[in-house]
Amino acid sequence: MALVLSGCAYDPSPGLSHTRREARNFECQRLGQEEAHDRYPGDIPPVPPRQMAQAMTEALVCEPRFISIDDRAPRDEAILSTLRRDVGALTELASTLTPGALVWHVDAFYPEQAVASKISIAAKTELFERGRAVSDRVPTLAAGDISVLSRLPPNQAYATACTRYFAEHVLGEHDVFLGLMVVDPRETQLHAGVCQAGKWRWVQ
Amino acid sequence: MKRALLAMLVSSVAFANPDPKTPDAQRAQIEAVRAEIAAQIQLQAYDLIDELVFEWLQNPPFGVATPLVLADVGVPVSFGSGLQALIENHLTSVVLKNPRSNVVLTHCPACTAMVVHSGAKGTVVSRGVDSPEALAEAGTAAQSKHALFLDFEVEGSAMVLRVRITSLEPSLPIVYAKTLTTSTGSAALLRTGDRLKSAADARKEYTDILENRSTWTIPIKVGVKTYPPGFQSIPAPPFIWISGGVEAGFNQARAWLASFSVGVSWAPQSHTAWSAQARVARLLTGTVSSLTHPDLYFFLGASIVSVYGNSALLFSDDDVSIDELTRIITNNPNQTPSRTFGAFQIGLELRVKNRIGVGVYLETIPALASDRNIGNYLNLGLLRFQTFGAEVSFCF
Repeated sequence: MALVLSGCAYDPSPGLSHTRREARNFECQRLGQEEAHDRYPGDIPPVPPRQMAQAMTEALVCEPRFISIDDRAPRDEAILSTLRRDVGALTELASTLTPGALVWHVDAFYPEQAVASKISIAAKTELFERGRAVSDRVPTLAAGDISVLSRLPPNQAYATACTRYFAEHVLGEHDVFLGLMVVDPRETQLHAGVCQAGKWRWVQ
Repeated sequence: MKRALLAMLVSSVAFANPDPKTPDAQRAQIEAVRAEIAAQIQLQAYDLIDELVFEWLQNPPFGVATPLVLADVGVPVSFGSGLQALIENHLTSVVLKNPRSNVVLTHCPACTAMVVHSGAKGTVVSRGVDSPEALAEAGTAAQSKHALFLDFEVEGSAMVLRVRITSLEPSLPIVYAKTLTTSTGSAALLRTGDRLKSAADARKEYTDILENRSTWTIPIKVGVKTYPPGFQSIPAPPFIWISGGVEAGFNQARAWLASFSVGVSWAPQSHTAWSAQARVARLLTGTVSSLTHPDLYFFLGASIVSVYGNSALLFSDDDVSIDELTRIITNNPNQTPSRTFGAFQIGLELRVKNRIGVGVYLETIPALASDRNIGNYLNLGLLRFQTFGAEVSFCF
């Protein structure tokens, strides 16, 4: 009761009202008072009409995560939590680097198949929403190619696969392939590369 | 899509190392939280589907009614086919109720089944929708020339739905794609499928209901108070109370409540009693009372109680034994004992939709601090709680 009365219950930082684990499961962002009032009219008062311009008041808005941060594999959670932002940035960069009326093909390379599918779908949707022509067809190679590629380090494997896609006419002049992947299985940073006309370029 | 392509399965394994197995403890924890959050995710997923079909009503993806195969529904990673089935059912239900969306879901078992297609370039194992030429050659091409894919994922505090429609021709072009999101910060809108409205309109309707809700309610309570026996082990009978009054929220949020009520209690041969009580209650579960979840309130109260009848003898400073009680009753048959005292309550009340509540409380009666006829449920030294009460309230 004392916590409620003193306002501590609404403080998202770890302390009397929240454990460290609970606090980690909040996603917080700062909002200006006007926007915060629009979104949370009952909680945030409107900006006073005569508020001085320099007297900026911010609201810290914290929302609990749907799934606690420890409930999925840490690497998967790290990738999925920022999927829209990360894939959005990568597709924006890729489409800027590869202009023209091209048909985009997308695939993701990630150790967990379910997460790889999510990355791929997110990228296809983002590209389509950016006005690109996107195909659901994923370029494939023959088993012999896969056998050779599996023995190469990632840097060479993607470039070689790109060459083979073009040589085997899996991808044509008007096709571009966007690959998203984690290069090192320990990392949580997505990388991307583009394959166009048999040439592989790392986007990030 | 990718999982369906055997060659790409091989290539993915080749390009990235496999993940170590999820530890058993983590799996157990996932199972436990799954049940807890599935309902919340399910409602948010329904909300996103409602929003999608509403979007289709405003801007139909096709000019005329077009058959679509529901090719895949992806649920958030770590959730399974149960949630998938619920979402499929809801989508089908909402689409059927809204034919103006120009989307007609069709049945095509071969489209979602795994098919094997051997050609000059090799053998490919995939789902039918991923290999339309295989479907065509097998003579099982669906009436539908389009496949609908839904993919839900939980991204932090946001639930994201990615929708795409693919034309079932060899190049599999995507002809429609859309991303919709919702967040834990906004309650599911629970729109009805046959009268879909925009999220903004549904939210306005929701807030209008909240704002038009009166801050005044009339609670009717039925409760029982019990008293522990004192030194003589003569137990006071439980008092069953019926009370009514008024309750007011300080604002629409109903985070603070104040109430005043009067009550009566009667038991044959035992007592007749009345009380008047004032209470202040504070919401503990959030800052705004919920229309969808139970609300827990903490309350403090003060009351005055007047008891008439034989039971009143127990609420006195004089020690009352069985013999003495019998003597008083026998010698003064026309005299009704009475006792009036003040009491303070501290308790918790669980309210559902601000309509039905269940409360428990402890009550201290300062005037009976030295009363040995009534015992204590909780003795904190200066503060003794002599009464335990429970009540059910119905608010009108």
